[in-house]
Amino acid sequence: MSNERKLDQATLRKMALRHNITLQWSWNYERMQALGFAYSLIPAFEKLYDTNEERVAAVQRHMQFYNTHPSMSAIVFGAATALEESYAPDAAESIKIGLMGPLAGIGDTLQSVLMRPIIGVIAAGLAAEGSIFGPILMFFAQFFWFAIRFPLFNWGYKKSIGLISEMVGEGIINKITEIATILGLVVIGGFVPSIMAGVKTPLAYTKAFEGGEKVIAIQGVLDGIIPYMIPLLLVGFSYWLLTSKKFSPLKTLLALIVVAFAGAVAGLL
Amino acid sequence: MGDYGFLTALILGIWAYFSIIGALAGWGTAEALVSGFITGLVVGDVKLGLEIGATLTLMSLGMATYGGATIPDFNTAAIIGTAIGAAAGGTNAAELGLGIAIPVALFMTQLDVLGRATTTFFMHGAEQALEKGNLKSLEKWHLMGTIPWGLSRGIPVFLGVLAGQAVIDNVVNAIPAWFMHGMRVTGSVLPALGFALLLSMMNLNKNWPYALIGYALFAYLGVPTLGLAFIGLSLAFIITKNRGGVANV
Repeated sequence: MSNERKLDQATLRKMALRHNITLQWSWNYERMQALGFAYSLIPAFEKLYDTNEERVAAVQRHMQFYNTHPSMSAIVFGAATALEESYAPDAAESIKIGLMGPLAGIGDTLQSVLMRPIIGVIAAGLAAEGSIFGPILMFFAQFFWFAIRFPLFNWGYKKSIGLISEMVGEGIINKITEIATILGLVVIGGFVPSIMAGVKTPLAYTKAFEGGEKVIAIQGVLDGIIPYMIPLLLVGFSYWLLTSKKFSPLKTLLALIVVAFAGAVAGLL
Repeated sequence: MGDYGFLTALILGIWAYFSIIGALAGWGTAEALVSGFITGLVVGDVKLGLEIGATLTLMSLGMATYGGATIPDFNTAAIIGTAIGAAAGGTNAAELGLGIAIPVALFMTQLDVLGRATTTFFMHGAEQALEKGNLKSLEKWHLMGTIPWGLSRGIPVFLGVLAGQAVIDNVVNAIPAWFMHGMRVTGSVLPALGFALLLSMMNLNKNWPYALIGYALFAYLGVPTLGLAFIGLSLAFIITKNRGGVANV
């Protein structure tokens, strides 16, 4: 091994840029973000090791499967950088494996469950009125998750191995996950009827009364039982396919298309 | 209005190519609203782009590529739908554009899978470079991984926009009314997939009461989105706090 040395600011900046921009640029089914992670560590290995053999061996260690929320990954990458810098490759490996799952859950919940749908409704409303603030808002709602990668990288780098004890040990991950889950479920519970309010049945039947006939819309009857019953049934059906039937999202999508088309052609929807 | 030239098709194809690479980097470039707006600028009908982008955005709520899952591609759909709707013009341009956009969003799932699978080849290229001890080559393979991603969006947009007029004629003349109706219904049903995906990630079996509260608040009281968020946040803090601050899930 080479004599121990530290990474300078320029190298750290270069690594953060590599990770934060290109982590997913070679995303593939086999190892997902692994190559992006290894690629981003190369500037460190060039400083820390003198021979090409040592550098290649170090990159090799990071070619294993890796996948998490790309913004949360900045924390992991920061910590892995600090651990590689102190020549503790095993710890770098275990921090990746230990944190990628829980952090993916937190990142997906905060970004895609909470922020994007809430901003999406507002932005779509603005755009429908012809305002260009709709797309601008939508762009920055996503860009925000890119921008925070830089402070998250610095934080992970500073915390290093302490990250595990702080996040897992003190229950921070669990607490954030639970808050995000409760908040997310309340919002989605309201979204199902509001976003899908347009899914209705045009069915109607004619009922004879004394002295006349009356057309009764089935939708009105359904609303009287449970409002927004059709959207609830469709979400319930998709959920059942995804969980009980272990359908992939793509297969579930196909099933929904079949149901929608069959319903439309049969005059039910 | 009418046909698009080679240049317009190329510009939109290039935007599609880079919008997905930008999205991989975490920028909001591959949002239906953003691409609808950009396409509207290019073809000279911003209002139409915003309208189509807005409708597609509402269909896409809750959908994200969790763990690399393939979902309908509303971004590519917004580009092609806006371009073709604008070429047709007239009062039903938005309806026609959406009629094209929804099947495009669905069809694009196949190309998304193809793009993600092709990148595996680049992963193996990087691995071979590593065996030869060539880190520079590994870096190139990684950056070239963007090519299948970009092409899987750029090529269909380029061809779709270039074929614009022919596609419109086909839609207007050949596609029966029941199919257009089926597509509209499919579009309105699609959010069910997004919500089901979200719910399956959040352990609904255990946490269903929170979803039920949200449903009841909207369905019976009409509480708007931000109101739901405030109530949800308060509930979350009350519940985690009462347990002494540390959740034991």
